[in-house]
Amino acid sequence: MKNNTIKLGLILAAFAVVACASLAVVYQVTEPAIASQAQDALNASLKELFPEATSHEDITSAVSSSDETVKIEEAYLVKNDLAPLGVAIKASTASYKGPATVLIGVRLDRSITGVRILEISDTPGLGANAASPTYYVDKEKKITFPGQFTGKYITDKFEVKTDVIPITAATVTSKAITKIVKVASASAGAYLQAMALGTAAPSATSGASQEATQPAAEATSGASAEGTATQSAEPAAETTSGASQ
Amino acid sequence: MSEEGKDTRSFWQVFKAGLIFENPLLVLMIGICSSLAVTSNVSNGIGMGLAMTFVLVFSEIFISAFRKLIPNAARLPIFIIIIAAFTTIVDLVMKAYFPALSKSMGVFIPLIVVNCIIMGRVEAYSSKQKVISSIADAFGMGLGYTWVLIVIAAVRELLGNGTFAGIQVMPVSYTPILFFILPPGGFLVFGLLMSVNNAIKRSINKREALAAKQVSDQQKAKENA
Repeated sequence: MKNNTIKLGLILAAFAVVACASLAVVYQVTEPAIASQAQDALNASLKELFPEATSHEDITSAVSSSDETVKIEEAYLVKNDLAPLGVAIKASTASYKGPATVLIGVRLDRSITGVRILEISDTPGLGANAASPTYYVDKEKKITFPGQFTGKYITDKFEVKTDVIPITAATVTSKAITKIVKVASASAGAYLQAMALGTAAPSATSGASQEATQPAAEATSGASAEGTATQSAEPAAETTSGASQ
Repeated sequence: MSEEGKDTRSFWQVFKAGLIFENPLLVLMIGICSSLAVTSNVSNGIGMGLAMTFVLVFSEIFISAFRKLIPNAARLPIFIIIIAAFTTIVDLVMKAYFPALSKSMGVFIPLIVVNCIIMGRVEAYSSKQKVISSIADAFGMGLGYTWVLIVIAAVRELLGNGTFAGIQVMPVSYTPILFFILPPGGFLVFGLLMSVNNAIKRSINKREALAAKQVSDQQKAKENA
């Protein structure tokens, strides 16, 4: 009896070892492809938000959320060859049927370059319309639900039915996405402000993408020439926002 | 236990059984949960069907080939190890080369491990049959599963979203009937398809009975003559 149990265990172990070994081989083969797919997807979506971007830098650890229900998953400082262009943040919150994940881009002048729905598992035909490229909240101008955020400023109200047109019969989804946009753009604004004051040196964080370090150094050193223009633009944006509040 | 109750049907007969007469979804009615969940559009249906077929074919081949080495008392955990290994392979390959499909099917690919069609066929069939019959069974069951998924998905996507595999088919003025994309619509289409399959089965049986009767009549006539 005891012998038999040990024998069964050994046979089971043998099968498990063979299965593990073959999985290890498959993993080795597919792993680079999976990693590059993820990288390509990220590059493509950052490029959509900032068409003139040439590199980006991971600043996830430097950005925090002001609302505990909204989770900042990733954050990037997007740059061209000379200077930072803005911040892209991937954030998520609970929506009607599961998490909603959104990528949002904020320019140095605190305007939103675009909002992309990365993941939504809400009801098809209702909440899932948030991610549909053919569902328009403004049928005449052909503006999609995430499309309406483009060009808004981070200091806007972001209130469904006030300055955000909701998706018909999907108020929960509309509110969830609006909340992500509001919180994430505020976080982006806070980061940009800290960067302008010099307290969050962008090159201080590790995990920068390959070419990112070089342009970053140039950007900080060349700040006197290139940075003055942006810096003078920023306080202007802040004063207008202060006035509207 | 391996040699008794051996399947004596030909390769083609075993294959055909899975398509219609013993269709895993419409007749055996196993593995329905995930199939209703993924059939809200046609590309998902095709992807899920092919992924299932792959796992089914390789699990059945391996288990049938090693059936004499697998001790009866430990067979279930061993089946699960083999099925899980192939499912993980499918999952990794899809993530690497078909990221969009992998993303839209989400958790249902890893869940193939616990799909009762695979466990059921492995336990009831390939753990007792020769490799060649197991291959026929796996392809029959896998493709039987796939065609049902595609038909359900086509009906649901066309009526519920106005598209076929993502391409707009219905005129733009058509208002999609949301009901079909939602779970209840899946049940309705599934039920209707089951009744169609029953009708096909019945007509085939009738024709075969008729043919058999004619043959025996002819024989009787010959004997009488």
